[in-house]
Amino acid sequence: MILFEEVSKIYAGDFVALKEVDFHLKQGEMAFLTGHSGSGKSTLLRLISLMERPTTGRIVLNGNDISNIKGNDIPYMRRHIGMIFQDHRLLMNRTVLENVGLPLLIEGYNQYEIKRRSLVALDKVGLLGKEDYEPIHLSGGEQQRVGIARAIINQPPLLLADEPTGNLDPKLSLEILSLFESLNEFGMSVLIATHDLGLIAKMRYRTLTLKEGLMINDGLMRERNG
Amino acid sequence: MAKQNINKNVLSGSPRITKVSFFGRVASVFQQHFQQVFSSFTELWKTPFATVMTILVLGVALSLPSVFQVLYKNTERVSSQWDKASEISLFLNKNISEQRIQVLINKLGLYSDIETVTHISSHQALEEFKEMSGFSKALNYLDENPLPDVLIVVPVEQAMNTAGSKLLVAKLKREQGVDLVRVDIDWIEKLQAMVSVAVDIVIAIALLLLLSVLLIVSNTIRLNILNQRAEIEVFKLVGATNSFIQRPFLYAGAWYGLLGGVIAWLLTFVLVQWLQSGVVSLMGLYEVQFQISAMNLEEVFILITAATFLGFIASYISVKQYLVKIEPK
Repeated sequence: MILFEEVSKIYAGDFVALKEVDFHLKQGEMAFLTGHSGSGKSTLLRLISLMERPTTGRIVLNGNDISNIKGNDIPYMRRHIGMIFQDHRLLMNRTVLENVGLPLLIEGYNQYEIKRRSLVALDKVGLLGKEDYEPIHLSGGEQQRVGIARAIINQPPLLLADEPTGNLDPKLSLEILSLFESLNEFGMSVLIATHDLGLIAKMRYRTLTLKEGLMINDGLMRERNG
Repeated sequence: MAKQNINKNVLSGSPRITKVSFFGRVASVFQQHFQQVFSSFTELWKTPFATVMTILVLGVALSLPSVFQVLYKNTERVSSQWDKASEISLFLNKNISEQRIQVLINKLGLYSDIETVTHISSHQALEEFKEMSGFSKALNYLDENPLPDVLIVVPVEQAMNTAGSKLLVAKLKREQGVDLVRVDIDWIEKLQAMVSVAVDIVIAIALLLLLSVLLIVSNTIRLNILNQRAEIEVFKLVGATNSFIQRPFLYAGAWYGLLGGVIAWLLTFVLVQWLQSGVVSLMGLYEVQFQISAMNLEEVFILITAATFLGFIASYISVKQYLVKIEPK
């Protein structure tokens, strides 16, 4: 699904954000990406979501080498990635339904199909009945769910989440992670960037740990009880 | 709610890359264009004051060239009526004999570029002058008639233009017994020269105003793009192409142009109506019946189409300058 081969990212001023990072996330695999602030988590996610390009190395996404992808191809490649952000990135002047249906609108689905699938996605994240609300009138947790519904509506093979529980209380955080687990059970690859080690410890998933741009650990952080 | 209609299998099963059939994609492109044309119009009215102000500014800027065009068209109409040497007056020598005058009339009658020749004798001329001037008693005290015999020459239609009449005047001046040839074409030439300079000035002003329209729309769209930066970033993050994102802005620019064009047409119409009474009074003084002809349908169509195109181009400039550079952070 995602293959990183000796990927480095160096910003202007010789700031090394990632240094020769290697890892492989298989199809249907769920993993955490952790590390302190500035460790390179966000840079790694930005490289996968094509917001940045690697300085050196090779990134393969879904069988396509995206290291030197043409600018015109980026939108089409992004449609294969569901992205979830800590700040939700919702359109506040549009309804929940319009937010969720955005990827389908872009792909050219008709309004009936967009509405039908959006309602299904909202049902999946437990927000059915709030489709006509504007996101501003929803709680932080609900907004995050809207973001998740938008990310999964076109059934992307890969889901990227950048600090998805950053602004949520522990209970809501666990609910969101359970949602990711259920999506992963359908075969979606899931990569979650978080610095919440407590949360990671409660789950039994592969954890990639970054420190100052280096991948210092790749494995289970701790086995979950039971 | 339509909960019972929801097909939960949509999100079940293994992930896949969503595919839309070719025909479905083509149909949806048209559908999207159609939706975006109208949604961009609706979007304008979310900031009604700013939109109305922009459209009014565009309308005023576009109305000036269109008013100039109407005035130019009417000036052309008037001057084309006057641009004819309909009569040439030949003032004959004082001592020319009646016999010689008749020979001259016969000779002129043979000219291919002369339609008619009419003789006004000096006596006839004096009588007419007495009648018209109201100085008949005073004129009776004159020892002799100071007026010469005059031949009124009417050229054929083809020789009534400036070049033709000049040629004819040159020939008439060479005729024996002709003292003076008078044709009222000089002032028309001067008027045409002035109109020509005025047209050049108007074209320069019109170009500047059209440039200002371009800048106004371009700047308005630039502000719209910057205001919607966050939204544009989200669109790009979920896989929208630049063409998908830029379409509403292009349509918005076209809407600004179209509405500005309509306002310009209305302003031109009002201005022409306002000028109408003044022009009618002025022309009445010269015993000429003249109505300013307003913009015809073709001109209105050209004005509105050009304004729409201008708005679209202005928007395109902004979109290429700013929108494509916005990348999600």
